[in-house]
Amino acid sequence: MLIYFQELLKALIGFIDVAGLYFALTQLTHRNISQNHKFQAVGLGWAFADSVLHRLAPLWVGARGLEFTWDYILQGLEANANLVFSISLAALGSLMWLRKNKPKTLVPIIYACAGIVATMPSITSYLRRGLGWHFPKVVGFELFTSLAMAFISWQLFSACQRPSA
Amino acid sequence: MAARDLGGRPVLESVYSVIALVFVLVACAELCDAATVVDVYRLIQYDIAGAPFGSRLAGLNHHASSLHFAPGADLSRTVLVIPVRDLNLGYVKDYLSQRQPLGGLLFLLPQIFSFESKENSGNGEELLKNIVMELEQLLIHTNIPYPVYFAFENDDINTVLADIKRNDESGQPATATTGGYKLVVSTTEPKKVASPVISNIQGWLPGLKADGDPNQLPTIAIVASYDTFGAAPALSMGSDSNGSGVVALLEIARLFSLLYSNPKTRGRYNLLFGLTSGGPYNYNGTHKWLRSFDQRLRETIDYAICLNSIGSWDNELWIHVSKPPENAYIKQTFEGLSNVGDELGIKVGLKHKKINISNSRVAWEHEQFSRHRITAATLSELSTAPGLFENTGSLADSRNFVNEAAVIKSVKLVAESLARHIYGHQGKNIQIFADEGSLAVNPSYIRSWLDLLSRTPRVAPFLSKNDPFVMALKKELEEHTEEVILQNEVLDGMFTFYDSTKATLNIYQVASVTFDLLLLLVLGSYLIVLFSFLIITTRGLDDLISLFRRPPSRKVKTA
Repeated sequence: MLIYFQELLKALIGFIDVAGLYFALTQLTHRNISQNHKFQAVGLGWAFADSVLHRLAPLWVGARGLEFTWDYILQGLEANANLVFSISLAALGSLMWLRKNKPKTLVPIIYACAGIVATMPSITSYLRRGLGWHFPKVVGFELFTSLAMAFISWQLFSACQRPSA
Repeated sequence: MAARDLGGRPVLESVYSVIALVFVLVACAELCDAATVVDVYRLIQYDIAGAPFGSRLAGLNHHASSLHFAPGADLSRTVLVIPVRDLNLGYVKDYLSQRQPLGGLLFLLPQIFSFESKENSGNGEELLKNIVMELEQLLIHTNIPYPVYFAFENDDINTVLADIKRNDESGQPATATTGGYKLVVSTTEPKKVASPVISNIQGWLPGLKADGDPNQLPTIAIVASYDTFGAAPALSMGSDSNGSGVVALLEIARLFSLLYSNPKTRGRYNLLFGLTSGGPYNYNGTHKWLRSFDQRLRETIDYAICLNSIGSWDNELWIHVSKPPENAYIKQTFEGLSNVGDELGIKVGLKHKKINISNSRVAWEHEQFSRHRITAATLSELSTAPGLFENTGSLADSRNFVNEAAVIKSVKLVAESLARHIYGHQGKNIQIFADEGSLAVNPSYIRSWLDLLSRTPRVAPFLSKNDPFVMALKKELEEHTEEVILQNEVLDGMFTFYDSTKATLNIYQVASVTFDLLLLLVLGSYLIVLFSFLIITTRGLDDLISLFRRPPSRKVKTA
């Protein structure tokens, strides 16, 4: 029972990520930032807050024990991947909500990529619990996927740039 | 729009942070990774008339090492982990007698000594039992200024020990700089147990008084001491010494209560059952119990039979007496017992040991009776008198070494001879407690009580005043006898005990200092490389180099 509750919580967090990014991208007014850089600032800020809230408390409580575990190093690497994910999500989000003239063919791809990135927490927890992957393997998978996702969203972003340029 | 935004923003943020906090707490639960945790039991710490014995410390926080350490190594800050199977007793003896400094000792006991083990004892186990008994005697009588703990072998601790051995053999002992295993027991310093209580329980089965007979009926007493003493008080179950005696006493009480419940079969003797405490301490409890008797009761006691260790003999039992064997009562008792013994196939021998009044050491329970001028004898499988704290139900005395059949035979022996004496059938070949009758000895009763006793540590100073086990014994006696009295006394002031008998040991695998520094270097270089990479890709190499150059001075501009 507790496992399902935790899974639900993680899916909720993913959804809140999207909602929060939407709110930060559209509702908050940044005056001196152009369209291109807004998503970077928002994504960076979001990833920073995410890391602090999710990883600072376990690090503070756990890393002071006598025994050494690789967990905290891996968590740091995971935070790196998380940063890239947040920035790509912000980029896709800015494409979705801030740009009105998108090529029609790319729109479903944008939404699909955004969906994948938003459900990343659930995917990783499924890999850990359902398939029984060890933590280093999961972190490696996250790093790889984050780079792939960043590349895809970069391509999408520059593809959407062309009509207005 | 702006006003709504300003109002709505903090609310949403606070809601998000609350949810994030909940998530953090939920995620934290998955990350709490404990090192190996083991239950350990401390060596007893006690004083006799001020002289200290046993392990004097409880807290432990040192690196672990096995017996394969490099000769000449400084062990004052290490804990030696020794499995009892590979124990070299002479080596430990030398170490202790030379008073060499050591951080601590951890002995690993095989599972056969644990009360959950169901293995039967074979030949190898007898050898192990003797080794453990010798080790216990050595440890109990030495003043050890560092913590000594006992733990049971299990898979976790075996892998840790194998690892430690490997490290030691490769010449890399565990210290602060090289890393290794660290054993931590965090517990408070041991305190004295104030006024240790010993509780004696007595049950009275009155006999049938003939109408119009003014004289008091004679009494026969059956006594057994139920408490134990061992190297690890939390593990001193004492299945044979004296769990077997207690079980036999309860079974005899049950059988005679059946006989006495019917007035037609009630004998003309009162029966007094006594479960005494303070056995290992020169039978202090028995002495205080007898002292509390009033004169009339003392005069009516014909004789007393004390039961001590009757659970692991093959075909020979001993009666120990302190009065000379020519005494009429002694002769009668001995002949009664040996006659019944002959019928059951048990050889019963007689041993006489004179009491030395000036010596305070009391080796057998009957000696306390003799000092109070009551005829008594002890029935035991031991042929010689045990020394101080020998055969007092210690670590080595576990359930696997007790034979139920031996206890059953002892019960039959004592019950039959008592019954023949009470009903006047001496010399006749009548079996009152025959195996198929309604008065047969109940093997499952004996087995269940033996199992319970083998799971309960019963060192008297650590039993509280209304300890549940003592209450259980009292309740059981109340079922079989009529008048049960519980007497609480304070243990003789010559013995002082200290608490803190059980603790949990945490085993941590600590990394060495070089590893920590290396990790710091790797992480630092990773961060620097990442930073440089980002700067180069976004702003160009010149910007990176310009970070290290001093900013151009203002003077250039004005010129």
